[in-house]
Amino acid sequence: MLQKREKVLLLRTFQGRTLRIVREHYLRPSVPCNSPLCPQPAACRNDGKLLSSDVTHYMIPDWKIVQDYLEILEFPELKGIIFMQTACQAVQHQRGRRQYNKLRNLLKDARHDCVLFANEFQQSCYLPRERGESMEKWQSRSIYSAAVWYYHHCQDRMPIVMVTEDEETIQQYGSDTEGVFVVSFKDYLDNFWPDLKAAHELCESILQSRRERENESQESHGKEYAEHLPLEVLEAGIKSGRYIQGILNVNKHRAQTEAFVRLQGASSKDSDLISDILIHGMKARNRSIHGDVVVVELLPKNEWKGRTTALGESDSDDKASGEAPSEPMPTGRVVGILQKNWRDYVVTFPSKEEVQSQGKNAQKILVTPWDYRIPKIRISTQQAEALQDFRVVVRIDSWESTSMYPNGHFVRVLGRIGDLEGEIATILVENSISVAPFSEAQMCEMPVNTPENPWKVSSEEERERKDLRRTHLVFSIDPRGCEDVDDALSVRALDNGSLELGVHIADVTHFVAPHSYIDIEARTRATTYYLADRRYDMLPSILSADVCSLLGGVDRYAVSVMWELDKTSYEIKKVWYGRTIIQSAYKLFYEAAQELLDGNVHVVDDIPEFRDLDEKSRQAKLDELVWAIGKLTDIARHVRAKRDRCGALELEGVEVRVQLDEKKNIHDLIPKQPLEVHETVAECMILANHWVARKIWESFPHQALLRRHPPPHQEFFSELRECAKAKGFFIDTRSNKTLADSLDNANDPNDPIVNKLLRSMATQAMSNALYFSTGSYAEEEFHHYGLALDKYTHFTSPIRRYSDIIVHRLLMAAISKDKKMESKENLFSNKDLEELCRHINNRNRAAQRSQKQSTELFQCMYFKDKDPETEERCISDGVIYSIRTNGVLVFIPR
Amino acid sequence: MAGLELLSDQGYRVDGRRAGELRKIQARMGVFAQADGSAYIEQGNTKALAVVYGPHEIRGSRARALPDRALVNCQYSSATFSTGERKRRPHGDRKSCEMGLQLRQTFEAAILTQLHPRSQIDIYVQVLQADGGTYAACVNAATLAVLDAGIPMRDFVCACSAGFVDGTALADLSHVEEAAGGPQLALALLPASGQIALLEMDARLHEDHLEQVLEAAARAARDVHTLLDRVVRQHVKEASILLGD
Repeated sequence: MLQKREKVLLLRTFQGRTLRIVREHYLRPSVPCNSPLCPQPAACRNDGKLLSSDVTHYMIPDWKIVQDYLEILEFPELKGIIFMQTACQAVQHQRGRRQYNKLRNLLKDARHDCVLFANEFQQSCYLPRERGESMEKWQSRSIYSAAVWYYHHCQDRMPIVMVTEDEETIQQYGSDTEGVFVVSFKDYLDNFWPDLKAAHELCESILQSRRERENESQESHGKEYAEHLPLEVLEAGIKSGRYIQGILNVNKHRAQTEAFVRLQGASSKDSDLISDILIHGMKARNRSIHGDVVVVELLPKNEWKGRTTALGESDSDDKASGEAPSEPMPTGRVVGILQKNWRDYVVTFPSKEEVQSQGKNAQKILVTPWDYRIPKIRISTQQAEALQDFRVVVRIDSWESTSMYPNGHFVRVLGRIGDLEGEIATILVENSISVAPFSEAQMCEMPVNTPENPWKVSSEEERERKDLRRTHLVFSIDPRGCEDVDDALSVRALDNGSLELGVHIADVTHFVAPHSYIDIEARTRATTYYLADRRYDMLPSILSADVCSLLGGVDRYAVSVMWELDKTSYEIKKVWYGRTIIQSAYKLFYEAAQELLDGNVHVVDDIPEFRDLDEKSRQAKLDELVWAIGKLTDIARHVRAKRDRCGALELEGVEVRVQLDEKKNIHDLIPKQPLEVHETVAECMILANHWVARKIWESFPHQALLRRHPPPHQEFFSELRECAKAKGFFIDTRSNKTLADSLDNANDPNDPIVNKLLRSMATQAMSNALYFSTGSYAEEEFHHYGLALDKYTHFTSPIRRYSDIIVHRLLMAAISKDKKMESKENLFSNKDLEELCRHINNRNRAAQRSQKQSTELFQCMYFKDKDPETEERCISDGVIYSIRTNGVLVFIPR
Repeated sequence: MAGLELLSDQGYRVDGRRAGELRKIQARMGVFAQADGSAYIEQGNTKALAVVYGPHEIRGSRARALPDRALVNCQYSSATFSTGERKRRPHGDRKSCEMGLQLRQTFEAAILTQLHPRSQIDIYVQVLQADGGTYAACVNAATLAVLDAGIPMRDFVCACSAGFVDGTALADLSHVEEAAGGPQLALALLPASGQIALLEMDARLHEDHLEQVLEAAARAARDVHTLLDRVVRQHVKEASILLGD
């Protein structure tokens, strides 16, 4: 039974009058305490996350600690933390949404041992605020009384430590109740976690930066920047069209002076501005940082500036921009920031001489971020000299209008500059990738497959699934040495004369239950990160390299799409989707498959599956396999041709693979070689993806996850068109069809590089393909520009992409819907799915960037100690394809 | 202050209720002696008073009389002190006209009007304090008043509002939740038959979610019915003791 109380609030209205508001407040006898020591678990209804039982005490941070030291509370080493609702609400009200969301995510995170206790809704914990009592006092009192209640609730079996910064609270409650201790945060760390060095350092640096900030606010001298306008003014301004909202993008090459604001949301529709808005100089940028959502005011037309086409930074900055301004473009200045995009930044310390020249206040040091789009950050630390050659993570705290640079604090050391591990860690931090090893709770959910206890197909599943083990010749084609095989193919002739093409994808969703720990972890990771020399898996290796991986010669669960094709025209007559059991007969690699396709039978010796067979059966099997590969290639060619007729693009991108020898030294840089088999496999996958996209969209028109590729902006093509004109070709970029045709025509027989160059320029002009939820877009926007398909999704790599897992679940739901079975509860609603898509898109971008950066890192390391004069590998031909005022852009075809 | 969180991750609403829980309901019947029927209800902090006169002869123009059934006349008003800011509400402004019409529709569906042809039933409702769900409170108060007046009805009419936040339907919205601007649905239900006397919603809500919200409102209305039923039985018991049998 609930108890009703009334809360009286005094609010100030817009007119400045005080308003007395009475709100109800309901109390209940029990709220979930989430403690394993709970004496009445039935009454508390503890579902979801529990505190672990192996802690020595529970820690209850008070409202001030949660606000200021949340970063330290995020350390996974700190266990048994109970956040009181009072403290959480204080964060929400005083620290804004960003910090609050951080706290919420922390609470949701299954790996982190912390829970929320809704003390204000608990009958015996709730204390009404007394007349004249200050908010802070009341909050401390509430938290303390809840702590005491909690202690008694656990039958006094677990000591509780309440941590606060407020001396008075310690004085007042310190020895009030036995078993409930009140200490300061510093003491807490010293007593309970003396070994957790990182936490101590962080605590120190937070304290220091706070002290600095306090000092600073007192000595407010001349202002460097204009103040930001209040939020209401900004919102009104955006509505009336006076201001424009957008995302700030700092120009990579001219980070000091140029930044662009890409318009966003409603404001782009009604204003007649098409292009981005230029923000010239740091003053106009007004303390916003790359990625912030900002509000911009346009300057009058006579102050508009052109974008600088010069490359790099010349010494005479002003002159350079003065001499070659291209056409003036809309220019503005930032008047406010709606959403800050501050994250952790990797920085380096300046050299000793520079530190001294900064003079005046030796404790404050300007550090230079790794990402040069970020301004220098001022931090205060005594360790500057010790950290000279290290890459260090810092966090920005504030940026006052009185200071040139933002204030930050030191978080942790990554590694020495130039050291491989340190540099890789840098790349990970800069892309916000965190890859802790999988936790025990997550591994507990995994199936077992050891030599003593091998994983077997269960008879239950055998009944449910279609068994293809004896009927179909299934094989996989992958890069050499690949462990996570998520797709396999099959083709066979049916009795009625038709062909049956099958694409079999590892059934990851069978092992990863929705909302399980492993599912949540995979969702946060969203994708497997491939760096040049290593990879960070989305799923534990037991799944990705073993039980899910479609290895040769073992039974595996799969999700299959099978088409019945016409024998000659390869028209699709029927399609079947479903769960299957397969046994892959061959695990081929691309080069071998290509040899087989070309009729070079001698590669047989390289294929382990053939080794132990006698001559005769070997020949028969080989013929069967060669026929299958040949047929597949034929079908793929046909499908490809059909897509080409609709205008699919063939795009060129040079990918470099790093070859490492045993000791992880860089051996050589090899560009990837395209083979026809690559294309065959890719084509089958595209076909499967396309058909699955159609299926899930039909079944769930509002909540299917598809992938779209929006047509590129025409202005991005201008460079391509001009470049082609120089060679006498005309590139028609109006649609993907015309672009594909004109790219095919632009072929200089004497110079094959020209076509390659043009294709790679076209690739650069493309926008990125994105995941989306079908409920949020109109059907015509589903189109995939590059592949020329009306609907497309990702279905074929559930081991390394989370989007595919979602698509698998959707497909399974669609199948059971066809059979009139209900299993809808596992699907995401449109809104959640859209949110998830945004997350996956972000993570994918991070994955791509980190992969590129790590390859570049290895390229740099490769060339670092080679002498360009003597080593012939450092010399290569290049084509200059664009000339800027102070530089050229070069294309190196190798 | 960053926008209020209407439903926390732990499933609590701003005032500590869970998604499907009603506010505290207290009601009394027969609060005025000179009216034929009257009732007072508190739903949380929303307080409403209803008075019923009739069935009696048509007042005013005789032409309004209906040959086959009774005329139901509803009037709604709210006290100047009912909201946070004091405001004079003239009689017959748009809001109260609309509310009157809605009440009339609701009760024409519930009262057996054909039993009293050529006569009139007056229902007056006044809101003393508005804290969300005024329509629901008015309907519930009026139901009790009609019952108190002894006018035959098909069934109780029980009303409740429901909203939709973050994929969850919330029953019986308070003023804070209403003011947040999400969709709000008002439902008046005849609980025994499950028939809907009135359903109203003027915000946008995706079709897929409608069923869920409707379900939440209906369940809340049934809960209201249990409570009102208890009030009526209690009242009858007290009345019969007073009458001495």
